[in-house]
Amino acid sequence: MIAGALDYRLPETVREATEQLAVEPRDTCVIGGGTWVVPWLASGERTAGRVVDLRRVAELRAIRATDDGVLFGATVTYSDLVRGDTSAGPLRLLALMARGVTGGVQIRNQGTLGGSFVAARPSSDAPTALVALDARAVVRGPGGERRLAAVELLAGAMRSALAPAELLTGFELPLQQDGGIGYVKLKRGASSWPLVTAATRLELDSSGRLEAVRLVVGGATATPLVIDVSTVLGSQGDVAVLAEVERRTSAAVVEPYADVLADGSYRAAVAPVVARRAVAMALADARRDRSGERR
Amino acid sequence: MVSDGLLGAAVRKQNGDRFLTGRIEYTGDLRMAGMAHMAVVRSTHAHARIVAIDTERARALPGVIALLTGEEALGLAEPIPHNLDPAGLGGQHAEIRCLAVDRVVYAGEPVAAVVAETAGEALAAARAVTVAYEPLPAVLNAQDALAPDAALLYPGWATNEMIAGETADGDFEQAALDADHVIDGELRIQRTSAAPMEPRTYLAAWDERAQRLSWFGTTQNPHPMRWVLAVALRLSESQVHVVAPPLGGAFGLKMHGHPEELLVAILSRMTGRPVRWAESRAECLLAAGREQRHRYRAAFDADGRIRGIEDELVADHGAAAAGPGWGMAFVASLAVGTGYDVQCCRVTYRVVVTNRAPWSGVRGFGKESANLLMETIVERVAETTGLDPVEVRRRNLVTADRFPYRTATGLDLDSGDYHSLLDKVLSKVGYTDARERQAVQRAAGRHVGIGIAFELTPEGADIPGALVGGYDTTTVKIAPTGHVTVLTGVTSPGNGNETAIAQLVAGRLGVPLELLDVVQGDSSLCPYGYGNLSSRSMITGGGSALLAADELGQKLRTVAARMLEATGPDAVVLRDGFAILVADEGHAIPIGAVAHAAHTLAFILALGIDPAMEATCTYRPPNIRHLPDEHGRISPFASFSNAVHAAIVEVDPETGVTVLRRHVVGHDCGTVVNPAFVDGQVYGSVCAGIGLALTEELLHDADGVLRTDGFKSYLLPRATDLPQIELLHQCTPSPFTALGMKGAGESGLGGAQAAIFNAINDALRHRGARIDALPASPARVFAALAQADQAVAA
Repeated sequence: MIAGALDYRLPETVREATEQLAVEPRDTCVIGGGTWVVPWLASGERTAGRVVDLRRVAELRAIRATDDGVLFGATVTYSDLVRGDTSAGPLRLLALMARGVTGGVQIRNQGTLGGSFVAARPSSDAPTALVALDARAVVRGPGGERRLAAVELLAGAMRSALAPAELLTGFELPLQQDGGIGYVKLKRGASSWPLVTAATRLELDSSGRLEAVRLVVGGATATPLVIDVSTVLGSQGDVAVLAEVERRTSAAVVEPYADVLADGSYRAAVAPVVARRAVAMALADARRDRSGERR
Repeated sequence: MVSDGLLGAAVRKQNGDRFLTGRIEYTGDLRMAGMAHMAVVRSTHAHARIVAIDTERARALPGVIALLTGEEALGLAEPIPHNLDPAGLGGQHAEIRCLAVDRVVYAGEPVAAVVAETAGEALAAARAVTVAYEPLPAVLNAQDALAPDAALLYPGWATNEMIAGETADGDFEQAALDADHVIDGELRIQRTSAAPMEPRTYLAAWDERAQRLSWFGTTQNPHPMRWVLAVALRLSESQVHVVAPPLGGAFGLKMHGHPEELLVAILSRMTGRPVRWAESRAECLLAAGREQRHRYRAAFDADGRIRGIEDELVADHGAAAAGPGWGMAFVASLAVGTGYDVQCCRVTYRVVVTNRAPWSGVRGFGKESANLLMETIVERVAETTGLDPVEVRRRNLVTADRFPYRTATGLDLDSGDYHSLLDKVLSKVGYTDARERQAVQRAAGRHVGIGIAFELTPEGADIPGALVGGYDTTTVKIAPTGHVTVLTGVTSPGNGNETAIAQLVAGRLGVPLELLDVVQGDSSLCPYGYGNLSSRSMITGGGSALLAADELGQKLRTVAARMLEATGPDAVVLRDGFAILVADEGHAIPIGAVAHAAHTLAFILALGIDPAMEATCTYRPPNIRHLPDEHGRISPFASFSNAVHAAIVEVDPETGVTVLRRHVVGHDCGTVVNPAFVDGQVYGSVCAGIGLALTEELLHDADGVLRTDGFKSYLLPRATDLPQIELLHQCTPSPFTALGMKGAGESGLGGAQAAIFNAINDALRHRGARIDALPASPARVFAALAQADQAVAA
């Protein structure tokens, strides 16, 4: 139940949406799927005189191949990823993440990756996966369009770096070599938000050595943490690689995040384990890929 | 001659299709002309003085009809009558008002109420009310509340102890001297809630001309609810009509004593409009229960025989309330010892008030805690003696030849074959193989644990001095068309007991279920009854329905015998819709025709008998004993269902996450009327126990404000968290109750919780780790392992 009256807007284009947002930006909530904003409005955690609901803006729901990669609309839902063709490229990791989103088909149909990103919840799945893909955020505001590394859009727990009149329209996902992907999350049960997540993608050279790796840990800190694991490049032995991933992650989690589901010391203690498992998953995936098992 | 044709049949729930397809009418579906909506302003402080309440801005908002503060409510209603006043058992009385006056004692306490045209407008107005508070020192846990310099919640109370008592004695010190071993320990049980699908909802309509209140709502006990409203509103009970529409689960939460029950009625009288209130999930999760700390000692011999148990229970109640919640600590203390032959059992309990939302009744009602404590102790006896935990249970459980068995706390256990139930469960789970597999898995570094629990669930309570009755009443009547109506004082929380009662009556009267309606939950239509609690509905509602059906059946058979020119009622049987001549089954009359004849030819066919084609009977279980025995002990329960659980878990030692691999439960509730409903109750109860063991916990911030106010923070198990629950039954009828029935509904929860808790500790044991607190959250299990590793390193 949302208290009182709301000025509810349902724009059909990005231009309309930004215009409606620009009137009273500080008193306006933008809704992707509404899985966060609607409960906030109902509980009174947030109040707004106006709601701009993006569900009718078709251009924001598109996934399009470009010369440099994939342009990914802000209101693409988890279900779109689960149902769509995600067999190659950067969408593969997003689909792996989306398949693990709980809350039932309603949440997967309703929730959008862009909405999740702007909500900036440390425990959400989407931000970590998008940062792991080196996504660039595309933002439209009164002054035009700007692009920035997605991770820079996350100012803190529950805080995005969007200016009040700005709208996240989507993400540019760079093209990638085929390789291995891994996504692991630690939860207290199906109804729990993730406590710690880890998303990774890596590439092996022809002799099976690690050639490139990007590892991002979510939930352990207020915003997704890019772990520098460059020291493992060129390694071949999994045991050594994984031990180094644990060490690096452990060292990187300095100010752990805490909420009602788990305290900071626990998150810091298990983050290295989750990161290691994600990398192990990606290594196995990369080898399946090389042996032609996957496709 | 009577028949029980439908006894034991898995008949489908009457109206089940309407529940499943969303066409049943819950209180929230009711509409009344002119209906307005209530929202509640709640305290944001755990303990504070109310300096001022500014309602001006709220009153000016669109749609607002009325606003009520605690000060204003003082003149409109009496304090809420207690469901179970602790003063009756020597405790301290607290006056509970529907809205706080001058002072709030918990965050979430109702401070003011608003009525508006729509629910949204009411909520907006409630948020626009500004309350100025002067914070007072708050006590947020029982330990702090008991400190000598603790702030007191209630003026006039000497301490924050609401009530304390000792439920049994025995010379524990002597037992400790005689025994080979004495262990001590602590068990901390977390604060949890009931979480029904349907939160509380009330609709009150005051009729000014008739001077009559109609009240519809989520209550388990319509007649006692009528008493509450009449007393608080200074009305006669005949001026109050209470209706309990179908419930979407109750679990004890919907027993009377909640402020909003009264608020809607006051506001309806004030505004002249029907007023409805529907609770939000965040409000629903304020209702607490179960949080307690046990300090125990156990004395036992090397052969595993337990000589004595001592337990000190401290319950963290939260603020005082008019509900029956505190009684859970008393019941927990009565149930310690469960089904074990331990005659020395010294149990003390203390219920402490703190500045948090109060205990409400919650499923298990204390019995689950007693089971958890007892199963923890048994497991530790096994650990100390080196015996298998199953063997310790075999050596201590009451044997089948000793019933009725009086426990150390005075309960008269009715019947059972605990050993045979244990064997059945062990065989189902493949206990010996599971232990062998566990050894192999352990060698491979895996942390697999096997946990067993015996569970005793005393049911069908009658609490002396309270409107909590262990007996109940049913009317069965047949109309001239042959339609049968059953009006009963027991109600259904959604578990299907109306269908099970219909089965019993249909069997006895020989009428098809389609011609039979059961009416529940209406204080004007139904005989006075105590509704639904303590798994009492079949023992009392079913028992009284059987008596009434037999009395009516006797009349029908008498009339039919005269129509068939037979010798008397015994020459006729009621079956398959006909009154049939026993000696010549070719001669029969439709029961409808018998009913019509009885109504229309009463001066011919019903001469010499009571011509009313109805009967009202009360069933009172013969084994409830309120007259104290030579030790001053009573036995306030009608039945003692029992269960054995076996859980297999795997703990991830790197993260502390527990996965429940298997859960087997053997259940014995005596004679089963409808196995589908009993299975449903056991599955649900086991799932609740799984949640209590692993994830559920009400948590507050440092200021005492509830943080777990939704289902993403108050974590209930979901389907994917659960293994297929493997359920088997044993039937040991009660020698005391009608048909040998025992309660089913609460049992499952305490045993499941205990078996999983034991399984986790079994998984940790080889690492030298154990947990003594619940829930077994990953962080808690992880910390226990880390601590054990440190101890080894040191």
